[in-house]
Amino acid sequence: MRVVVIGAGLAGLSAAARLTEAGAEVTVLEARDRVGGRTHGIEVAPGAWADAGAAYLGDRHTELTALMAALDLKATPTGMVGDSRFELGHGSETRHGRFPPLNAVALGELFDRLAEVTETVRTDAPWLTPDAATLDTTTAADWLEGLSPHPDAKLFFPLFLGEMMAADPAAVSVLHMAFYLRSGGGIRYLNAFEGGAQQDRVDGGAQQICARLAAGLDIRLRRPARAIDSGPDGVTITTDTETFHADSVIVAIPPVLADAIDIRPALAVPRSTTRTAPGCAVKAHLIYPAPLWRDHGLSGWSVNAHGPLLSTVDDSPDGGPGVLTGFVTGAEAHRYAALSPREQRATAIAQAMRLFPFLPEPDGFHVTDWLGETYSRGCYAALFGPGDWTRLGPALTTPHHRVYWAGTETSLEFFGLMEGAIRSGHRAAADILTDKQRTTS
Amino acid sequence: MNVDGVIAIFRRVLEIEEINADSDFFELGGDSLLATRVLSGVARGSGVELTFDDFLLSPTPGALAKRIGAGE
Repeated sequence: MRVVVIGAGLAGLSAAARLTEAGAEVTVLEARDRVGGRTHGIEVAPGAWADAGAAYLGDRHTELTALMAALDLKATPTGMVGDSRFELGHGSETRHGRFPPLNAVALGELFDRLAEVTETVRTDAPWLTPDAATLDTTTAADWLEGLSPHPDAKLFFPLFLGEMMAADPAAVSVLHMAFYLRSGGGIRYLNAFEGGAQQDRVDGGAQQICARLAAGLDIRLRRPARAIDSGPDGVTITTDTETFHADSVIVAIPPVLADAIDIRPALAVPRSTTRTAPGCAVKAHLIYPAPLWRDHGLSGWSVNAHGPLLSTVDDSPDGGPGVLTGFVTGAEAHRYAALSPREQRATAIAQAMRLFPFLPEPDGFHVTDWLGETYSRGCYAALFGPGDWTRLGPALTTPHHRVYWAGTETSLEFFGLMEGAIRSGHRAAADILTDKQRTTS
Repeated sequence: MNVDGVIAIFRRVLEIEEINADSDFFELGGDSLLATRVLSGVARGSGVELTFDDFLLSPTPGALAKRIGAGE
């Protein structure tokens, strides 16, 4: 059996590895000149890597943990020791722990409402959730307004959704918000570092997972797929210069990019709509000789009402330089992405120096703009807008002729995370193997 | 709100049944996000709005009920 996989990110490579183990002949076509997709490393000092894309994992990410063990990769705790900094509209403040200096009762009310709506979602079929029609046509921003929120809840909500799912509340449906939060383990698990989804990072960088998976696989770089033709005898995948023939193909790329491929026969249900929005995340890395904030009793964690850096976190590799990662998410990501490199640098550094006044000029500065990545079109994951789950959901994982689907956006478990990507790849591989067994027996 | 009312809120938010007047919220896995949900439950049930720092100083149902009593 021959299989072509389109996309050499975690989903595509997980599928390719599974199928290879099962004896299939697999070729992976990758548009970029590297593997990894939305995992990507930046070498911030010789031998020291920072995650420009997906970075964090927790205990519940069992497929990722198993894959890392098989690839001889270790997890390193994110560890957050010390006080936090906040700029939430009344100057800057230092506080113990991660809790922002906002009205706790108001935030509690917000989390109560979020927990309620999250608990109603059917993660096995979000479009069948009770009241799906209303939840899918209302944006998260309108939902919040309907709660007549306290000003502190109003201030915090976009920061929270930005951090959890890189979403602008005006761009996602309530159904997608609730689904995403539940699929990832609920608001508490997704929000937590220790004991939650940000407990660990991959020691040496998450980009190593794909690099190691790729070793031993047939990967063709710089081959964006342009067309897929399914016929009675097989499937043909066309790139700019070549054609590849196979029995099946797995499309393991974000939904908007999948729709850019000319698929024949045509799809009855597209992979995305005009309401499907890119995950809005830009990551800035500020590199210092050491994690200098630790000497001042600070963890490096901050939450800020105004950008560009809506939150910062200490991502310093063990024994390496100090790496302060700034997250620019939601609507702010669009504004920041539109700035010149010089303005991006100046505004990020100025904010870091307001938050941590003892910091010198950084030794290094890197911006990773996922919105501008032609072959990702956003990060963490595509955001389903109003109507999307009802229209796209039922066909999310359904094979189309010889075409199978993978990618974190096709995983109902841990959607948007590395764990979801791996699970989707394994599911697509299993779908192909099951179908093959059916046709040959 | 009496101590039983606070215990009921702890049970709901922590999703743990074994809670008594001396159970420490943070030792049972509670974090700051869940703590705010206890405080909103207290405010709904008693009308008393406590702060996050109040809760850090009184992280058991017994101690929290005393603070609520002082505010009622």
